[in-house]
Amino acid sequence: MNIEAHALEHFYGQEHVLRGVDISLKQGSFTAIVGESGSGKTTLLSILSTLLHPTKGSVAYDGKALSQVGNIDHFRRRHIGFVFQFHYLISYLSLRENVALAALGENEANIDLLLAELGIERLAKRYSDEVSGGERQRAAIARALVNRPSIVFADEPTGNLDTKNALGVYELFRRFSDEGIGFAVASHDKKIADFADTIIEMEDGIVKAIHT
Amino acid sequence: MITALKALRKNRFKTALIFISMSVSIAAIFLISAISGGVVSMYSAMLKTDGDIIVTQRGIADTFFSDINRSWSDSIVKMEGVKEVSSLILGAAPVDPLPIVGVYGVNEGRFKNYSLVSGSYPKVGEVLLGSKIDQSLKHPETITLSKKEFHVSGVFKSKIGFEDGGVVMNLGDAGEVFHKSASIFLVSLGNLEKSDALIGQINGLNPDLEAKTTDSFIDSYNQFKIIQTSSDVIGAMAFLMGILGIVSMMSMVVNDRKAEFGIMRSLGLSSGVIITRLLSETLIIALAAFAVAWGVSEGVLELIKHADKFQGYINGEITVALLCKVFVVSVVMALVGTLLPAVYASRIDPMSLIQKGSA
Repeated sequence: MNIEAHALEHFYGQEHVLRGVDISLKQGSFTAIVGESGSGKTTLLSILSTLLHPTKGSVAYDGKALSQVGNIDHFRRRHIGFVFQFHYLISYLSLRENVALAALGENEANIDLLLAELGIERLAKRYSDEVSGGERQRAAIARALVNRPSIVFADEPTGNLDTKNALGVYELFRRFSDEGIGFAVASHDKKIADFADTIIEMEDGIVKAIHT
Repeated sequence: MITALKALRKNRFKTALIFISMSVSIAAIFLISAISGGVVSMYSAMLKTDGDIIVTQRGIADTFFSDINRSWSDSIVKMEGVKEVSSLILGAAPVDPLPIVGVYGVNEGRFKNYSLVSGSYPKVGEVLLGSKIDQSLKHPETITLSKKEFHVSGVFKSKIGFEDGGVVMNLGDAGEVFHKSASIFLVSLGNLEKSDALIGQINGLNPDLEAKTTDSFIDSYNQFKIIQTSSDVIGAMAFLMGILGIVSMMSMVVNDRKAEFGIMRSLGLSSGVIITRLLSETLIIALAAFAVAWGVSEGVLELIKHADKFQGYINGEITVALLCKVFVVSVVMALVGTLLPAVYASRIDPMSLIQKGSA
């Protein structure tokens, strides 16, 4: 799916955090959104991913405005994946059950294959407090990918990982992006530039530069 | 189901608190309903023993206060369709060392209703003791009732706790103790179809008399209404306390699991799925609490039944109807108590996960 955002503006109370953002994300591309804290990258990511309604402006998926989507929950489940800075795995469920929680019926059969692709198949029955930080984040990525979404949004996905695990996460994103799943990743980490197709630089709520 | 059980196990402390709160509420509903139902059914059973029509003093609030002239029974027994008329004095008096005991003054014809365990039916100056009070008083040969001594002629056994914990004596002796001729007449009919006509005739005998069919008397008896209303009010309070307990505990549970519900929302799980998950968790607790409360209530009722202190007057029974009613109440309590916190959980904004960045 191609995503188009037009003239996005957003306020938190009096604070003007997005000041007219126009961007487009192409099907299967790996886009990094970089910038200082408070530059508006997380807000942009939240609006693009349907979690937040912009104060002004519009977002369209393949030309269809989000405001015209009837069941936004179902739309999100089918087309969008999320990876947060913290893994947010449910502690009383095994890694496999966490992935299954997100899976639509027809995709449940793919869970084991996906866990194998991410190198955590042997941990499927373990719980989040029984595995390492990197393994948790891989399980969170598996959960984001289980329905083969059009795009995965990730907000500082390597913020809690060491360099080696962080690079592992970017490599995974790159691999799945090459298979056609789009990624939009907000990050402070400059190493992401080595993996992304496009880098959107944010500053004070506007797009300062786009590098391809 | 397995997921719900895992969630309950993970949050075992709060699960235990909800379970205890629900068990106490359900047990309270069981006990108050069973005890009040027991009181009503015991007294009803006693009145129904051999009476199709009950005659009392008009306008009295309680049969214990009723005072009617026994001579009217002679007129009633002559009426067409009347098989038998029993006069009864219902009273309560101290029997040393018990502060209050049910006393039943009956005419000789009614003695057959008391099944003797030992001895014989009482003559003048004698009393027949229920097995429960005989046991409480350690099988006495005499008792002092309202400062007058009576010889114990025998002991009877009755399934009706009020009788089994009471004293039966001749109508004449009871009349002297309570200074009245009779409390009520129990009229037995040959043909129930004539009851309306007979009630009219009895009421016409004297403006002081009030006749009703036994069923209609039981339905309209003020004491039963008071007991039933008190039981309903206490039961409703226990129900509301149960709901409040669940609401407050589930609100804490939802708050603790905010990240979990936020992530579900971000994954696109619908509000309905989240609400259903929480409801199923509380329903599991409710079923367990119901089972435990039932068992505990049966145990408590059994203890009360055999406690000398209560003289057998409190004899609650958990009937199938009561079981079904409390089961429905338990399920409703769980659903209503969980609904608000569940709706709140289903509306948790996943943005909070991104903005707060902590679990």
